[in-house]
Amino acid sequence: MKLYDYVLSPSCYKVRLMAAILGIKLDIRPVDFHPGAEHRGPELLALNPAGSIPILEDGDLVLTESSAMLAYLAANAAPEWLGQGSPQETARVQQWLSFSHRLTANLGGARLHEMLLRPGNIKALQAQGIAALRELEGGLFEQGERGMQFLAGNRATIADIACFPYVALAPDGGISLDPYPLIRLWMRAIRSLPGFIEMPGIHRLHELKPDPHPAGEK
Amino acid sequence: MPFDGAGSWAPVALSSDLPPGTVIPAWTSAGPIALWRSQSGRATASSDRCPHRGMRLSHGFVRGEALSCIYHGWSYSLSGGCIRIPAHPDLVPPETIRVAVQQIEETGGILWAAVGQATTQPPQLDELVPLRSLSVEADVAAIEVATGVKVDSRGLVRLPEFPWIGLLLAPQEKHTLILLMIDRDRSPADRVAASRIVESIRRTAEERHREVAE
Amino acid sequence: MKGGAMIDEWYPVGLFSQLSAKGNRTWLMGEAIEVARDQDGNARVTTAEGRTLPIRVQYGHVWSSLGTPEKELFAIPEADQPGRRFVDVGVVRVRCSPLRAVENFLDIAHFPFVHTDILGAEPHTEVENYKVEIRESVDEVWATQVKFYQPQAAKSATGGITTEYMYRVPAPTCSVLYKTCPPRPSEWDVITLFVQPLAEDLCDVWPWMALFDDETPMTDLIHFQQTIFLQDRSILENQIPALLPLDPGMEIPTRADLTSVAYRRWLKRHNYTYGAQLVAQ
Repeated sequence: MKLYDYVLSPSCYKVRLMAAILGIKLDIRPVDFHPGAEHRGPELLALNPAGSIPILEDGDLVLTESSAMLAYLAANAAPEWLGQGSPQETARVQQWLSFSHRLTANLGGARLHEMLLRPGNIKALQAQGIAALRELEGGLFEQGERGMQFLAGNRATIADIACFPYVALAPDGGISLDPYPLIRLWMRAIRSLPGFIEMPGIHRLHELKPDPHPAGEK
Repeated sequence: MPFDGAGSWAPVALSSDLPPGTVIPAWTSAGPIALWRSQSGRATASSDRCPHRGMRLSHGFVRGEALSCIYHGWSYSLSGGCIRIPAHPDLVPPETIRVAVQQIEETGGILWAAVGQATTQPPQLDELVPLRSLSVEADVAAIEVATGVKVDSRGLVRLPEFPWIGLLLAPQEKHTLILLMIDRDRSPADRVAASRIVESIRRTAEERHREVAE
Repeated sequence: MKGGAMIDEWYPVGLFSQLSAKGNRTWLMGEAIEVARDQDGNARVTTAEGRTLPIRVQYGHVWSSLGTPEKELFAIPEADQPGRRFVDVGVVRVRCSPLRAVENFLDIAHFPFVHTDILGAEPHTEVENYKVEIRESVDEVWATQVKFYQPQAAKSATGGITTEYMYRVPAPTCSVLYKTCPPRPSEWDVITLFVQPLAEDLCDVWPWMALFDDETPMTDLIHFQQTIFLQDRSILENQIPALLPLDPGMEIPTRADLTSVAYRRWLKRHNYTYGAQLVAQ
């Protein structure tokens, strides 16, 4: 499986993260998104006329939507990541996958503006981003009331992986995560998953490594 | 106005927002804090700034009974002293390297910070259980207008249409923290309903706050 | 305007390769400027009032100044060596003081925590003594004999090595790092941070490199350096106070911080105060 990838892209990271958790080896083809705008160059436009990344190629299957890539990886390696099959859970996975696309626009748009100087109405993007984070916080509260730690059930699904990167990087767009205690706990649960990998701006939990020098010793 | 006098208490977070081995950003009248809970369960409020290069300690990590700064790993004990500087593993850090620590009490599922020197215990709110905490971009006055009720001496607002819901208000620097609370023994459906009701109140209060600001 | 002597220095304002006739609007020390390419293909920088600013084109970037620089832009002789590959890493905007951005670049004690398993890893956190001086003849801050154990020091490194470094500050918002070059151990790889101050608490960072590396694809080199810088960005946006304190009292350095101590002293001596605060609060 070949992933056309940009190390700083949260959408590309969704795929890298899912693959790492599932133990799938991806053949990474780096794309010079910034400053080179290679995703809009002739070679990549021929593969994906939408001009976006990530792109996932597996034989003659070419996928250009990160949600589809997550579903493909899960379907191949560990279908429980798609949900356990009940209509409610299936619906919740879809609900939060759709929600994750809105995050690309609001949180992602704010980040591109503040960090990589892309055009945008930053005040509007930040207001929409805050509204989305509040929606997520409320949703996590209600899931918690059902005894569930993740968005669609009591175990993580592709819906969590789809929402995680843009949420974790909200501060890049000038949107603080300070006011969301449940989002913080949910992000911690995701960062604690076996196989979790970092991306620049989302670092690992150092506390998961045992203290090399416990206090009181040298 | 509640919580603005010395010798009283302000809520800063729910206990459930702070599992063992975690640190979160919070706020007290003494300034921003890194509110953290050691592995053994003790909660502390350290000033949210490492004295080395000014990095926010709330971005750090907890190992055992110490809070470490994410920048260079400087570690602080529950009483605020720096106990380790990884760049100099053999150095015993001088006692002058420390962060200010504030008194925290934990009762009724709420973490309270003392405002000044506390002479009493935090308010008893035994009839209520906390559900979640929310930040509102509006002051207490706007929330009082949105609910139609003034805060009582404990900082609590009981909603007239839903008297089983209580909102504990804590004014912070630029916004208000609301701890959503309900009477004990309400149904699961009531708990979810309360969450949606307080979100609706937040929308109204923020709109009012924006109108007043214009 | 605040900033003291910094107004008469050169600052990066764009990538030469990305200039267009249409021009790019940006800021320099609070002033709106436009960076464009004229009909002869030369760079041109003007203020909103139409004043033409002095320019230089060097190290792949366009440089300008709101004042009158007395010196030419600093030299990097290694950049003239045959076989060097130049890497335009691309701009990243950071909500921090330009001086905080430079000081972070000079620091190595954060490697195991911020650039974990790349530039450093626990338990190899010790920073051994190194040499720091302000070289009066060139009026630059230099740190030499800096050593650190690194799991993956560069894209061209095949495993963990003890990397040797030299750091140099030739201008208030620029730093040059010389590090062990894995393919040619007798040479240095050159990695720079050129920082454009937009405001005292907002800057555009333009990293650039001159390397000996014929193997690694250009995009991989760009991504490696962007990875490192993006790992620092959330640190830079969360330091308090935002302005760099030049007086002792607010912040506590240790022996590992000798380069930053010298940098702050050098800034104060020159009255380079744009992005700094003077009285400990």
